[in-house]
Amino acid sequence: MPEAARADVALALEQAHLEWGFVLAATVRVAGDIDSAEEAVQDAYASALATWPARGIPANPAAWLTVTARRRALDVHRREATARRALPKLVDPEPEPIDEQVEAMEGIPDERLRLIFTCCHPALAPEAQVALTLRLVCGLSTPEIARAFLVQEATMAARITRAKRKIQVANIPYRVPEGDELPARLEQVLAVVQLVFTTGHSAPSGADLTRVDLAERGVELARMLRALLPSDPDVAGLLALVLLTDAPASSPVVTRCARS
Amino acid sequence: MSKYLILIFQDEAAAQPSGDSVSANYRAFMEKHAGALRGGVALENPATATSIRRDESGESIVTDGPFAESKEALGGTFLIEAADLDEALAIAREVPAGIGVEVRPVRVVS
Repeated sequence: MPEAARADVALALEQAHLEWGFVLAATVRVAGDIDSAEEAVQDAYASALATWPARGIPANPAAWLTVTARRRALDVHRREATARRALPKLVDPEPEPIDEQVEAMEGIPDERLRLIFTCCHPALAPEAQVALTLRLVCGLSTPEIARAFLVQEATMAARITRAKRKIQVANIPYRVPEGDELPARLEQVLAVVQLVFTTGHSAPSGADLTRVDLAERGVELARMLRALLPSDPDVAGLLALVLLTDAPASSPVVTRCARS
Repeated sequence: MSKYLILIFQDEAAAQPSGDSVSANYRAFMEKHAGALRGGVALENPATATSIRRDESGESIVTDGPFAESKEALGGTFLIEAADLDEALAIAREVPAGIGVEVRPVRVVS
């Protein structure tokens, strides 16, 4: 791969940050727990920053980051497993061969729904569900989330740590609910997305830019859910609602609605 | 697999079930979930409890009554084994408890 300019790398990484949830979701099962998965993903982004300028930006940055993060998680995990001589059940014991030159997402499972449903599990406090979703699915930092919700950074950090600990200790599963469970659980997810959106949207005008960003995250999450659950009418409804609310007053969609 | 303790809460003012046999609804619950059940107890009324508290100097003080007085009294427990919290909650939801239940992961200590 050819060399890449610093500015191009920065842009590519900014773009790739939108894939944070995908990269993390695909890493959780290899890592065995959310904390070590997060560390591996952070390492992968850091190593992109270090290696892309010299080696060039890969054809598919998200795939490169996912494979790098999964390899990192697997390495760490293997080292720990050797020490403990026991593999937790979350981990896929078959390590897949990892290619330096990753060009496609093929073969990398999209685990984002599992991640979203775990973050929005009813056994977690509602404010923790929102914080975890922003942190793990959207890739926001704890200080960013704290600012968005106008709470102390230490308070937010404690809230996130406590929720992650509960996921681990109470063994909240990393799975998509099925059958009878799904409607109620999905409702919870939609409530979280809507809360993210409205918190951003109801920000006092111009005073706090980070809260406006939250509206963007809400739209991003609604789009993600729509892509992951294309046939669900409630998901479609939520996306329509946030898009309509978010549209500038001059946009064709709002003008059309105002007229009718 | 994880172990969970289901704490069964009932209204303290409610009449205690009389007799020493398991009521039909509890019997049905226990039969249905026999595969997951690892143990359990039914407790006598909290009025019969005795608490031992340690004060600042480390002295033990014996008092009449439960540790925490509340309208919701602990009436009994079940110890279950489940694949994860979702499975544990599905079982706990079927406990025919008066007020409700609390599900707590059991800490593994060696």
